[in-house]
Amino acid sequence: MKVVGITTQQEVFIGSKTRNFRINEFLIIEDPYQNDLMGEVVEAKTFNRYIPLNIAGDFVDSSVLESLKTLGYNIDEETIYIAKVRLLNEALYPVQTGSDIRLPEFHEVKDLMIKAKKEEGLILGVIRNTDDMAVGMDEEYKNLLYTFEERGLCPQREIPYILDLKSMHHYPHIGVFGGSGSGKSFGLRVLLEELMKQNIPTIVLDPHFEMDFSQIAPYIEENSIDFEEKFKCLQVGFHVGVKFQDLGSQDLKNLLDAASNLTDAMNNVVDVLFKRKDSFHSFYDKLQMLTDAQEEGSLDRIDNRINYADTEEERKAWARRKELYLAYDKTCPYNSVKGIMWRLKRLENEGIFSKDIREIEEGLQRGKLMVIQGNTRLLQVFSTYLLNNLYHKRREYKDALYKKTTAEYFPPFIVVTDEAHNFAPKGYDSPSKSILKEISQEGRKYGAFLILATQRPTLLDETITAQLNTKFIFRTVRASDIQTIKEETDLTMEETRRLPYLRTGDVFISSASMGRTIFARIRAAISSSPHTENPFDELKNKDKEDIEKFMNIITNKLPINDTDLIHVITEIEKETGITFTMESFEDRLKEMVIKGFLCRQETIFGYKYTIFK
Amino acid sequence: MIFIYTIHNDLKEKISGLNSLLQDRYGRIFSLDRKFLRKFIEDHVGPIMPMEKLANKHLALYEAKGGIVGVDGSTNKIGGAYPHFVEAFQGLAKSTLIKEEPIFKANIYTPLFSDTEINILEEDEEKQTQTRNKLLANIEVEVAIESIKKSKPYAILMDGSLIRYYIYSYDLWMKLRQECEAEGILLVGVIKDIKTSIVGDKLTKTYSDLKTKVYDRELLFGILDYGEMIVIDDEVNKKKESGYSSVFMRSSMAPTVIGMDIIDSQKEYLEEMSRLVFTLTPENSRGVPLWLDLVDKEVQISDAIMKGLMERYMDRGIYERFFISERAKRH
Repeated sequence: MKVVGITTQQEVFIGSKTRNFRINEFLIIEDPYQNDLMGEVVEAKTFNRYIPLNIAGDFVDSSVLESLKTLGYNIDEETIYIAKVRLLNEALYPVQTGSDIRLPEFHEVKDLMIKAKKEEGLILGVIRNTDDMAVGMDEEYKNLLYTFEERGLCPQREIPYILDLKSMHHYPHIGVFGGSGSGKSFGLRVLLEELMKQNIPTIVLDPHFEMDFSQIAPYIEENSIDFEEKFKCLQVGFHVGVKFQDLGSQDLKNLLDAASNLTDAMNNVVDVLFKRKDSFHSFYDKLQMLTDAQEEGSLDRIDNRINYADTEEERKAWARRKELYLAYDKTCPYNSVKGIMWRLKRLENEGIFSKDIREIEEGLQRGKLMVIQGNTRLLQVFSTYLLNNLYHKRREYKDALYKKTTAEYFPPFIVVTDEAHNFAPKGYDSPSKSILKEISQEGRKYGAFLILATQRPTLLDETITAQLNTKFIFRTVRASDIQTIKEETDLTMEETRRLPYLRTGDVFISSASMGRTIFARIRAAISSSPHTENPFDELKNKDKEDIEKFMNIITNKLPINDTDLIHVITEIEKETGITFTMESFEDRLKEMVIKGFLCRQETIFGYKYTIFK
Repeated sequence: MIFIYTIHNDLKEKISGLNSLLQDRYGRIFSLDRKFLRKFIEDHVGPIMPMEKLANKHLALYEAKGGIVGVDGSTNKIGGAYPHFVEAFQGLAKSTLIKEEPIFKANIYTPLFSDTEINILEEDEEKQTQTRNKLLANIEVEVAIESIKKSKPYAILMDGSLIRYYIYSYDLWMKLRQECEAEGILLVGVIKDIKTSIVGDKLTKTYSDLKTKVYDRELLFGILDYGEMIVIDDEVNKKKESGYSSVFMRSSMAPTVIGMDIIDSQKEYLEEMSRLVFTLTPENSRGVPLWLDLVDKEVQISDAIMKGLMERYMDRGIYERFFISERAKRH
């Protein structure tokens, strides 16, 4: 291996006749006039001057090559290997052409590769193409993880990639980009597993209902980690919700908007009618009474109601209605008030107002990973409320510390979301965008961090994208997203060109703390997603299950004569409580014959079903 | 623009003149019937025989017996007019056995240091070509001899007619020949551009009304089928006195014919070697065995390398003073 061709202070080409180069491999250039220089392979090529088989314009056919091979000459062995190597640090002078190249030892690259102790960092995967260097690796970095390769689960052979958790204090936010099927969700899962291991308080917004860590993946044989106690899935409206009394009018409008879009007039109704500290019921009653009055149609008729009331109570109620009517009828059109009412009712039916976020807060206090599940619209609204709430709690605590006053302790925390472009879209406003923006810009001071995953970085708010100091970039095919990645990260031309071809689970990690891009492979996740079952397998299994169930029911009734069906059906109903009609029962029996579980024989008493032997 | 145009026209006329001249001269011969010519060749020159490609097991045998060595040379000249130039020669003997290192030898020549007294007026083109041919032939024979010592191959394929070595490098050539005979190594030359006129001469001798000198190259164009060869009777082969036997063959789909020489003591292997050459030639090529093409490519001294070598290993002052011509500075 030698340096060849024209060199610069930043880049050199190296050639070898025997060793093929791999992209992102580290090499040491032994420049006789400068000290050893470390470089990284950014482009690897092979070249055979006889292939493409065109020598002096002739096209060489394979039979001749075959003949030559028999004569002992294999044309492939004329291949030479060329790599473009970029120096990690600029050299003082252009590298001496002809300098020797060698592979670095682990201790020479340790500081470049490993920035955190394994106990203090997130062990996310391995750094690709470092197996040569990993040979002399310290024991403590060996056997930390498994990776998935073509041939299945493999023990670790390369240097681990450990994300320095503490560096998040300086470089707080993480972006995870990649098209569908690129390994993005798995990457996120591994990231969360590591956060759980470190007991970092984390909120996960999970629109896909997939961030469940209770199942250990089937391929993991020995496992000492149990996530059961470290995370909790909570569904919006079922486990957690909004405490109505805590809502501001903007919060409320956001919530209602989530139920169905609000018109300007409806927004106005909320502004006018909603008072701070209103309970759900007081607010709803207010709306109810106003519409009652409006339905009467005129002041005279309301007065009539008051004057001819049967009871004192009724009279008071109508007097109250009159008050509301006088105050609000002009500003709150009937239809808009009605609109607010049914939106409110809908949210209530979803259970949003019946719960609060105390469980989430408690979980965070105990360093747990809290997974908030719900459909995207609901999550958008709820997260706005939730994050505002949590962020300001944390902020109050820190500010109190600074001002030397007292406040309840609230821990620093990380917010994680998939499909982040839904929560902070570019170009238009969304309820959750402003709080995410706030956290992205000043969360660092208060210890609130973001991990935002999206398959469409182009659609993510630019201010927020700019604040993502560490980026995980998985396979991306869409040209506009590649363009965004080009602009928003320090990926080189060569690397962006590789983006569409990355294997699932391979990732470029561009991190300000490393100062360069690392090509890594995410480790195999310990837990598995609940959505991994193939839907077609599911259909098959369901079918099998049905057959078994039916066969269990009828086995002791066999043989069954088709003249006798009615008795069998009644017996089954008595024993199991399952009702069949004559027709459906016969259909099922016939189906079992077709599927080869039963036999149908013709007898003098009609057909007889027996077990298939 | 008009000026260029007039030259163009003139040249055009000259060239079409040449075309009709050639047409006049050779028209009769080229219009000879293909069947007639083939018959004539069979009667007067030698039998036309079809060849078969060698089977792989046959080739494997060659591999076991030491492989095939291809030998070629190349030259490159840098500098200006006589005597201010350097000419480099490189010879290569490359075995098909990959474990055998290729054997390179090099030499340079400049008239500034020639043995004879420099006399610009006396030095003529002929003499220069002589010197060049000698040096090139020498170096090719040298690498061939070296390859015998090192790898004892089954056969050596030389690029070009063996007669070249007989003429330009007699002593070394005799040595090579003797060693090959002693070691039982087949010595073969493959001629890409045949320059003989064996068939043509026979033709003019037989039919006295044909007075034109015709070379085999143009005469045999398209006469043979793919995979056919003409084994030339030693009696009509003028190379016989130099000690060779020869064939013509059409080794590819291209209609041109190539030639092959073997030393006369190994004549019995003539057909076998023809088949080897045929086997190693890609069907859709110019007719040259791939192995010789590979060797040729590897031995080539490119202008860039020549220039690089001069710049790297010669003092700039000396290089500039002696070898940079006015022409090289033009652009």
